[in-house]
Amino acid sequence: MNASFLLFTLLNTGFILLVSPLFMSLIKKVKAYAQGRKGPRLLQNYLDLRKLMQKEVVYSPNSSGIMRIAPYLNLAVLLLASLFVPVVFIPDAPAGIGNIIVFLYLLAIERFFTALCGLDAGSSFGGMGSSRLMSLSAVIEPTMVIAFAALAYVLRTVNFHEMFAITAGSTIPESPTLTLISISLFIIIIVETGRIPVDNPATHLELTMMNEAMILEQSGKNLALIELTHAVKQTILMAILINVLVPWGLVTELTFAGLAVSCLYFLLKASLLAGLIGLFESSIAKMRLFRLPSFYMMAFFFSALTILMEVFA
Amino acid sequence: MISSFIANPAFLEDIIRILFVFVLITAAFTLSTRNIASLLTVYAVQSLLMVLIAIFLYLIEGNKTLIAIAALTLVSKVLLIPLFINLIGEKIKISRDLKFNYLEPTASLLVSIGLILLAYVFLSGFFSEFILGKLFFMGAVIGLSLTLMGMLVMFSRRKVITKAIGYLTMENGVLLFGIFVADLPFIIEILIVIDLMILVLLTTILAIGLDSTIEEYHQRLQTLKIWSGREN
Repeated sequence: MNASFLLFTLLNTGFILLVSPLFMSLIKKVKAYAQGRKGPRLLQNYLDLRKLMQKEVVYSPNSSGIMRIAPYLNLAVLLLASLFVPVVFIPDAPAGIGNIIVFLYLLAIERFFTALCGLDAGSSFGGMGSSRLMSLSAVIEPTMVIAFAALAYVLRTVNFHEMFAITAGSTIPESPTLTLISISLFIIIIVETGRIPVDNPATHLELTMMNEAMILEQSGKNLALIELTHAVKQTILMAILINVLVPWGLVTELTFAGLAVSCLYFLLKASLLAGLIGLFESSIAKMRLFRLPSFYMMAFFFSALTILMEVFA
Repeated sequence: MISSFIANPAFLEDIIRILFVFVLITAAFTLSTRNIASLLTVYAVQSLLMVLIAIFLYLIEGNKTLIAIAALTLVSKVLLIPLFINLIGEKIKISRDLKFNYLEPTASLLVSIGLILLAYVFLSGFFSEFILGKLFFMGAVIGLSLTLMGMLVMFSRRKVITKAIGYLTMENGVLLFGIFVADLPFIIEILIVIDLMILVLLTTILAIGLDSTIEEYHQRLQTLKIWSGREN
């Protein structure tokens, strides 16, 4: 492992951890404005996390060790996944870091433990959330695999670092089909972070609950970790879309000025994307659970189309 | 700056490819949108994309017919036909076409992936990429797929108005195919547009309310005592 990669590990992970809660607040703020409310302060999520960190954790007497380790494990897995998606600069990574297939499995591990966590306390709500998550994952995972396969096919590599190096080096989108694939990636962000129309993150209503149902039993520090994991996941997925479609500003060399430019550009682009997500969420209604596969099918259609278009071109 | 971009064929070809992608996106929306007003907007956008494709192709090829086709499409398909259907749609209160025959939107999207593949395989049997050039071959494939997807819309939608939009989408596909492969004479393009106008007119008159399905239409004719359906 070289020094540049070590530095990347610290900087990239630190930066993503630092800015993730901000984007969550930003989406809330945009949604609030769309509804004619003022909404929470931009720093509110940080304050919430601090408050939760200081609180005591309460475990259900029925819960097992899963409940205790899952929040730590999930955050660790997601932070490992964040190394796959460079936002500060593109380092000389050791083999395996940046591989799409490993990345998909890391996301799957996180989903698996979240579902287990929901089941662990034995409450009917948690079980319902887990069951919904798992049945919908069976539909969204093939879509995700196809979307990332299309990305790999277009850019001729299965490594995120190499992909971003290619896109960062070009002025217009590398291939016209990347426009198509960004639609799929956007749908994946919405689905994976449990936003409207898939799930409503703002309510605890039985009918709409999926992600919220699974974390209902969590409290204190563990809840803070889970919220943070969720925020990190959202930032990583947003970073993939940004680095594929509008990669300008991402540097491949490690310099102080370059780093500053990279971070600033990312912050700007991600804020815009967060605003877009907020607007998208405000503009449509929650879908019925059984309607959701057709929403995923859109992502599947565009990904399959991307591969076809590449074959024609 | 801009003129140097316009003079660069590789850049123009890239733009046309991006437009192809958008054409397919509009086709996907035509298959799955339930709101009739947005369906019309999608159709107008699709026709506008045809106009842009024709203009960019003119910049590459310099064939004046393309400009004429672009102008004709702009006037008829982007402005007149959507406006006309919209006017009628406002008079007869309908806003959604919720019902689908045989295929739900999810299934139609899957089928249309198959159709695109079919178009590709079918056309590569006729012309190879080397005869036509890559861009033109792609245009032919997209044109044929759009025609087939329009047919799928006609097949899977219940209401007459959405079926008409399926037919109009098919015509857009034929136009695209014509621009890139067959080099249709301009007079035929004009005739097709006149046909379209008359088709839309007839559909509106005959359907006595665009919101009826074929079965309901029969019923309505009987109720209104226009045609009893039996020999007297």
